[in-house]
Amino acid sequence: MNQHSKKDAERGLRRAVCVVIGSLLLTPTAWGEQRFPPPDFEGGYQLPATSTPPARAEWFQYLDGAVLLGALGLALWLVYRRRSRRGVAALSLFSLAYFGLYRKGCVCAIGSVQNVALALADPHYALPFSVLLFFLAPLLAALFAGRAFCAAVCPQGALQDWMLLKPVKVPGWLEAALGLIPPLFLGAGVISAATGGGFWICRYDPLVPFFRFSGSAWMLGLGVAFLLVGIFVGRPYCRFLCPYGALLRYASAAAQWKVKVTPAACTRCALCRETCPFGALREPREKPKSHTQARRRLAMMLCLVPVWTGLGAWAGSRLGAPAGWFGGWAGLVIGGKLAALAMGRPQTDFEPEPGACFACARCFEACPEERLRRGWKPEEEPKA
Amino acid sequence: MSERRTWLMTAWVAGLFCAAVAATLLFHHAHATANDPWKSPRLLRLQAELAASPKDERLKAEIRTLDLTFRQRFFRQRALDRAGAWLLLAGGLLFLGAARRASALRPAAGTPPAAPGFSGEAEDGRARWAVAGAGALVCAGLAAMGFFQNPPDVPKSAAVTTAPAAALPELPPHSEFLANWPRFRGPDGSGAALQATGPVAWDEAGQKAVLWKTEIPAAGFNSPVVWGNRVFLSGASAEKREVFCFDAASGQLLWRRAIEAVPGSPAKSPELPAQTGYAAPTLAADGRRVYAIFANGDLAALTFEGAPVWSKNLGVPQNQYGHATSLAYWRGRLIVQFDQGSDEPSASRLMALDGATGQTVWEKPRKVLGSWASPIVVEAAGKTQIVTAAPHSLSAYSFADGAELWKADVLEGEVTPSPILTGELLCIVSPSDKLLALRPDGSGDVTQTHVAWTYADNIPDVTSPVSNGECVFFVNSGGIVTCLDAKTGAKQWEHDLGTEIQSSPGIAGNRLYIVATDGHAWVLEAGRAYKELGTGTLDDKFYASPAFAGGRLYLRGSARLYCLGEK
Repeated sequence: MNQHSKKDAERGLRRAVCVVIGSLLLTPTAWGEQRFPPPDFEGGYQLPATSTPPARAEWFQYLDGAVLLGALGLALWLVYRRRSRRGVAALSLFSLAYFGLYRKGCVCAIGSVQNVALALADPHYALPFSVLLFFLAPLLAALFAGRAFCAAVCPQGALQDWMLLKPVKVPGWLEAALGLIPPLFLGAGVISAATGGGFWICRYDPLVPFFRFSGSAWMLGLGVAFLLVGIFVGRPYCRFLCPYGALLRYASAAAQWKVKVTPAACTRCALCRETCPFGALREPREKPKSHTQARRRLAMMLCLVPVWTGLGAWAGSRLGAPAGWFGGWAGLVIGGKLAALAMGRPQTDFEPEPGACFACARCFEACPEERLRRGWKPEEEPKA
Repeated sequence: MSERRTWLMTAWVAGLFCAAVAATLLFHHAHATANDPWKSPRLLRLQAELAASPKDERLKAEIRTLDLTFRQRFFRQRALDRAGAWLLLAGGLLFLGAARRASALRPAAGTPPAAPGFSGEAEDGRARWAVAGAGALVCAGLAAMGFFQNPPDVPKSAAVTTAPAAALPELPPHSEFLANWPRFRGPDGSGAALQATGPVAWDEAGQKAVLWKTEIPAAGFNSPVVWGNRVFLSGASAEKREVFCFDAASGQLLWRRAIEAVPGSPAKSPELPAQTGYAAPTLAADGRRVYAIFANGDLAALTFEGAPVWSKNLGVPQNQYGHATSLAYWRGRLIVQFDQGSDEPSASRLMALDGATGQTVWEKPRKVLGSWASPIVVEAAGKTQIVTAAPHSLSAYSFADGAELWKADVLEGEVTPSPILTGELLCIVSPSDKLLALRPDGSGDVTQTHVAWTYADNIPDVTSPVSNGECVFFVNSGGIVTCLDAKTGAKQWEHDLGTEIQSSPGIAGNRLYIVATDGHAWVLEAGRAYKELGTGTLDDKFYASPAFAGGRLYLRGSARLYCLGEK
């Protein structure tokens, strides 16, 4: 390092920080620090001593963990036992207040992926207990019972859910194409964290700035865009960007207990499909007309998985090893998705697709069979 | 008016209110961004006038008043933003509540027609095409980025090649490298030239011991690099980057070369504080080529005659002060420590490049924040180690393949001082915290096992220590010099020079050289007792570190390059 004035450098830092932050703080919620360096006082003025706030007490992380486990358990109970949309909505409001506004979006399951990746790559990195819990608990819950975490515990999900006013359907082909983004973002975030490239998932989370009343201008702008789109498109961040959601989607696909619109017999009235704002209701499907053709298509798609993987790895490798790994992952995701789309699983009833269903419980109340089963009269229909 | 209509009207009013508040805040944001108070024409004019008449009290009072006005305006705007945010929140909640209520009161839509038979094959087909198309776009995007970053028809990092490496004679023997001053703080980065000598006193006014002085054409904080009869410096602004070569005998500027047309170089340099500038890193030389790196990430190699050999851009370093880590060179390889990130590790890395071609020999990511310390290459514990300092670790890498050999989490704060090797110990300053000595023969995490000693009084925050093998000397920004026993860390003496010092001390022979920012200098005996051998004064500001070569002392001031020696 070339030796120059440390004090001058500190002043320089303040100026640089002030210029950057100053350019951001005049946005609605971007509070800055000082925009100006402190003046050089003369005449013996004593600058006040810098004070550092004490660290958050350790027991708070156990409180966060307990609240997470409690909320997760309550969400599962509300979805599977009570089958209550109103209860799920109320719990999501609590989660928004606690994990969002009070905890300011940190610690958060979405970002915990990076800590886990870094801990796996760097044996010197100590993974905090609460972060590990936030990573594992929703994932384990999804493995057994789907995405109840998304429904009522995740503050990002809750914020978008409350913004949804006039849902419109996203065409299936567009949903499938945009659905590639979360696993790709997951791959990029994990590789970046593991190789010391920074925590991209946290850096580019467009909704956390709202919890903190602070953020860069363009992230705030992106967050506003997501919320405005979210008035019409249900949970756009969860469906088309959330990297942890990609993990939960994979885990939920193998869930032991799946959300059912009603335990009673499905009349195939399609009302549940119209109610689901997330396009998660899978329609009844007949068996393919030609088994041979379907099998051939699936075999071809499976054969193409390594081709896509190799193509992605090659395309990324010119940018360096981490990009090569990312390219390989991207190819695997694309090939896997194509193979999944070639499976053409037949089904007889309207059923939520386990990976795509957020367990929001809206469809329960739209189902005439469920209303009959629960003895609801029209005037008693719950609203949420 | 129906209830639904009332809620709808409420939602519209709340929505329009939110839009108006947001537009006002955005306008303020745009206005404030466009009117940076530090670029206020009035302030700049007053600053220029004050620079011309520094004792003008009226100007000072006017600047202070203007400064106060800016601050008051700033805090008024902050208060306005805070109020606006709360208004937005309240308006947003009202909008949401009213809109949801209106939505709930909407007449129920008719029952959708049931579809008795669903095939789904056509929809799956469309989805497969969409996924395949998106996948192709992703792969094509990656390939295109790779292509534009590393065009296949241009050898990697050799886009500017006017003097082919093959045309240059072979590198001189390593002993010649050790005999010169080829990088920041000498061949091993220690700041000491124990076989060299230098003047004991000088005086700019009387020209005593000042062999020559010459104007430096462009600003920079880098230190002189000397090889034979050439002295190299660099200088840069946000717009232009240059390397200068001076005749060591006369001080005459032999050539200056602008670093231009660097592949991947950003159109606009990052905005940096003047206290760091765009040419803080010191150059490196190998006897045939001189290497320079700048704050925008441009890295270039030139021949000793100033002809471009190769150049590349490493990406604009995300460094709040600006990149200042100097280059290191060892046995054919250029070592680049490229640390960045102020809040979290962000693409920091250590690279070894082939000096002749600029090709990457190896590159290792580093999970560290930005640093300003320079790497050193040492032969220790039977290995050639590259020792680097950054928050929070002192780490050693294998020169052969870049594998991390060991690391010690012993550093705090903004790591600026560079490590040195003294005897069998590495010395490193944890800024304003402590000086540590470590044994460089460990592996893995040596934090608890290899710290030989520590010392915690009057620790520097910027300058690096220097040692003659017996003692370690260091000086802090306040001018307090301390001497410790190199093996035990026991204090031998300390002395307050009473002035600001930002330049690292150097040793030539048995003389310890300390240069203050204001141009005063002290020549002390590099021994276990404080003894002043002489002093010097120069009429310039000094931040760069001294260079010793050929019995001479080279000092870079803010405006001039000085060569001092016995006349």
